[in-house]
Amino acid sequence: MSHTDKLGNFTSEDAPDYGDVLQCMRCGFCLPTCPTFALTGRERSSPRGRVALARAVAEQKLEFTESVREEAFFCLDCRACTTACPSGVRAGEVMEVCRSQAHQFFPPKHVGKTFRAFILQKMLTNPDLLETSMLPARLYQKLGIQWLVRHSQLLKLGPEWVAKAEGMMPELYPPLRPQLPDVVPAVGEQRGRVAFFLGCIMTLMYPEVSRQTVRALTHQGFEVVTPKEQKCCGAPHLTEGDRSTTRSLAQHNLDLFMALDVDAIVTDCAGCGAALKEYEELLEEAGKHDQLAAFRGKIKDVSEFLAEQGLRTDGLQPVEKVVTYHEPCHLCHAQGVSKQPRDLIRAIPGIDYRELNEASWCCGSAATFSLKYTGESQQILDRKLDNVKATGAELLVTANPGCHLQLAWGLKQAGMTQRVVHITELLGMATPD
Amino acid sequence: MISKTATQHLIDKLGAANVACEKEDLLVLGYDSTPGIHHLPEVAVFPTTTEGVLAAMEIAQHEGLPIVPRGSGTGLSGGSVPVKGGMVLCLNRMNRIREIDEENLTATVEAGVVTLDLFNAVAGKGLFYPPDPGSQKISTLGGNVMEDAGGLRGLKYGVTRDYVMALECVLPDGSILTTGGKSVKDVAGYSFKDLLVGSEGTLGIITEITVKLIPPPKDKRTFLAYFNDVRTAGEAVSKIIAAKIIPSTMEIMDKATINCVEDYVKIGLPRQMAALLLIEVDGHPAMVEEEALGVKTILEQVKAAEIHVAKSAEEAGSLAAARRTALSALARVRPTTLLEDATVPRSRLAETFAEIERLTAKYGLTVGTFGHAGDGNLHPTVLCDERNSDEMHRAHAFYDDLYDQVLAWGGTVSGEHGIGLAKKEYLARQIGAGGVKVMKRIKRAFDPKGILNPGKIFVDDDPCTEAHIEEGFRVSH
Repeated sequence: MSHTDKLGNFTSEDAPDYGDVLQCMRCGFCLPTCPTFALTGRERSSPRGRVALARAVAEQKLEFTESVREEAFFCLDCRACTTACPSGVRAGEVMEVCRSQAHQFFPPKHVGKTFRAFILQKMLTNPDLLETSMLPARLYQKLGIQWLVRHSQLLKLGPEWVAKAEGMMPELYPPLRPQLPDVVPAVGEQRGRVAFFLGCIMTLMYPEVSRQTVRALTHQGFEVVTPKEQKCCGAPHLTEGDRSTTRSLAQHNLDLFMALDVDAIVTDCAGCGAALKEYEELLEEAGKHDQLAAFRGKIKDVSEFLAEQGLRTDGLQPVEKVVTYHEPCHLCHAQGVSKQPRDLIRAIPGIDYRELNEASWCCGSAATFSLKYTGESQQILDRKLDNVKATGAELLVTANPGCHLQLAWGLKQAGMTQRVVHITELLGMATPD
Repeated sequence: MISKTATQHLIDKLGAANVACEKEDLLVLGYDSTPGIHHLPEVAVFPTTTEGVLAAMEIAQHEGLPIVPRGSGTGLSGGSVPVKGGMVLCLNRMNRIREIDEENLTATVEAGVVTLDLFNAVAGKGLFYPPDPGSQKISTLGGNVMEDAGGLRGLKYGVTRDYVMALECVLPDGSILTTGGKSVKDVAGYSFKDLLVGSEGTLGIITEITVKLIPPPKDKRTFLAYFNDVRTAGEAVSKIIAAKIIPSTMEIMDKATINCVEDYVKIGLPRQMAALLLIEVDGHPAMVEEEALGVKTILEQVKAAEIHVAKSAEEAGSLAAARRTALSALARVRPTTLLEDATVPRSRLAETFAEIERLTAKYGLTVGTFGHAGDGNLHPTVLCDERNSDEMHRAHAFYDDLYDQVLAWGGTVSGEHGIGLAKKEYLARQIGAGGVKVMKRIKRAFDPKGILNPGKIFVDDDPCTEAHIEEGFRVSH
């Protein structure tokens, strides 16, 4: 994605590459895989249509209009179309760049702008601030205010997304990052040394999940190094179209992790993993191709890593559960990691694994999509829940906090009894103390 | 420009959700999968019933708007591109399977049903709908009928036309014509349904289709054979046919195609080989056994470099799926993929490959060839860049020469993609001025005012000029 030449009606900063949009030969293989096309039946809400809109802007047949902006944000960025595209078109990435364009063409109003800048540039770039900011939320739960709010009519007064956001919040524990030792030694025979990339949502919302990730890794024979200075991976900035903050975060994390002597950089957040794997492209203009390629080669999702290394099953306790697996888009489509989590689940003794129909179809979470488009998100979620119900599973395994929040919330709303667990929590159940 | 009143009228009749007039909607309904052709319609409608189609057509008539039907926009000859503007009539929201008649072995569907959805629905009842165009996951039955789509199984099972038993269509005069039925035999008068199949939306708008179903084959065997040169592969195909073996599938991919497909599917296709054949024989187990032996013997005789047999139905399925991605995968190499649809009598196959090789060298182009070798239906695809006018010139010269030779051999300019916009000038070369005249008289009988999909199939009465069309693609003058 070029930063220099101006392409058609795009601005010169973070515009799509013309070659990337020309690549689409409009065969339509993406159409049956696109959740927003399935929902609307509108070509412009399909990957082929979205790329065609970007091409029209590039060819000056269309201005960057409000509708183009709308389609850029209505895209779930689930990347199912990337998996489906024989020609190698990456419609999701084209739309990410269009989001950046959208902010240039339609600068947010003053309050919105300040708020957005505050969240993206101040909060998310500063782990300490983020952690402190969660304190009120924890107190809100601990002091019984949550109970009060939920039992009053208060939530019905605000916009729909406020009620949903409040309802989605899991039970909060203190953030993991400050608690986690810098180095946790391997248990048993050591097989290697890995760095742990601890995502913001993981440390804030799911600290107990990441605790299990570290525990599983160490029991599998890996020494785990967690540098405290790590920052947000930049995924929220990418999806919101703030590419310049992403680049500075990327540079920080790259320098920090490349200074460590580790075999791999492991994460348990599919969204972070996908963003970290994109650093190579994001920072390509800065040169240093060898370093970028080396970094890219080290980034592993935890299930990808453990499947590669081979799960040490001796000593694992049987988990007698009926289990199914929902594939996070950012794992299967963005990273191409699809077989490994299933292999891992099947390797755990005692598990009755049931394949989920449309396992790689988005759950409707998609970063802030679930709050911006609550109705559409619900329809996508319902499709997922119907498929979950059909499996008869007791545990719904996934590997990404966004999916986790959305699925847990959906199951609760639908009165379904399945519990959502991260794949490392499942592994944690099998791992002896 | 369509008037505000007419738009409102359409909204009243069809509902606001089924009428699109924003530029962003129209822009993305003005193309199909044919490279370089694009045109803005003035309005797009998504009727959900035959009455809705009728209402939309009446309003279009009143406004003098051309009417262009569209399914999923996967056509390869520009058939659904609204080159003269007007109304795009999208049929993909008419997607109900009305009936699967297990006594008469037929299925009746609305025009917008996706081909694979029908296949799966009838398979669930132990029946088989064979036509399987490459885009079967996306394409609609209506589009398949309008272009008379073929597919991988065409060799043994035939093409869409061979399965159409009845059609319901709306004519420009506002009448609803039902032609054909569930009777296996029917010679009552002219066969309108056969005229409508492959008419590319120029005679009527098809709203409902009844197709023939057959029992599925009980057994099948899938071969993958690799060759050190393309001509040997062509020879193998001719010999198999000459041995009176009709496989259900006999597909070819050349080296360029193999590599592009492998880049995408990563199933271990042989990158260094000049060609591969995907051959499937099916039917009664005893017959499959016998034919498989025959195929294997011939492959050994012609000295195929390697012969593999698919170990499971899944493996066979993944090979067919890989083949279906060939055209799209070729688009990885260069931005523009100019695909053709030349079809020759099968005995000419090896010579056709030689001719493609010769012309590729003559015009200095990159060409990937794949196709339904068993049908003599090849898809030589020039991989080029529409921004390079010199290259586009050479590409067009390549096809000109190729078609001259194909016609000299008694072949056809389109095996399964239709004429549309892309091949108008070649049609006249093939069927002559007399043939075109008769076709036009038929067109006038159905559509005297010429409002249905104007600018398609025929060279003259083509007021659309080059200015209407994006640069880089051959249009008729």
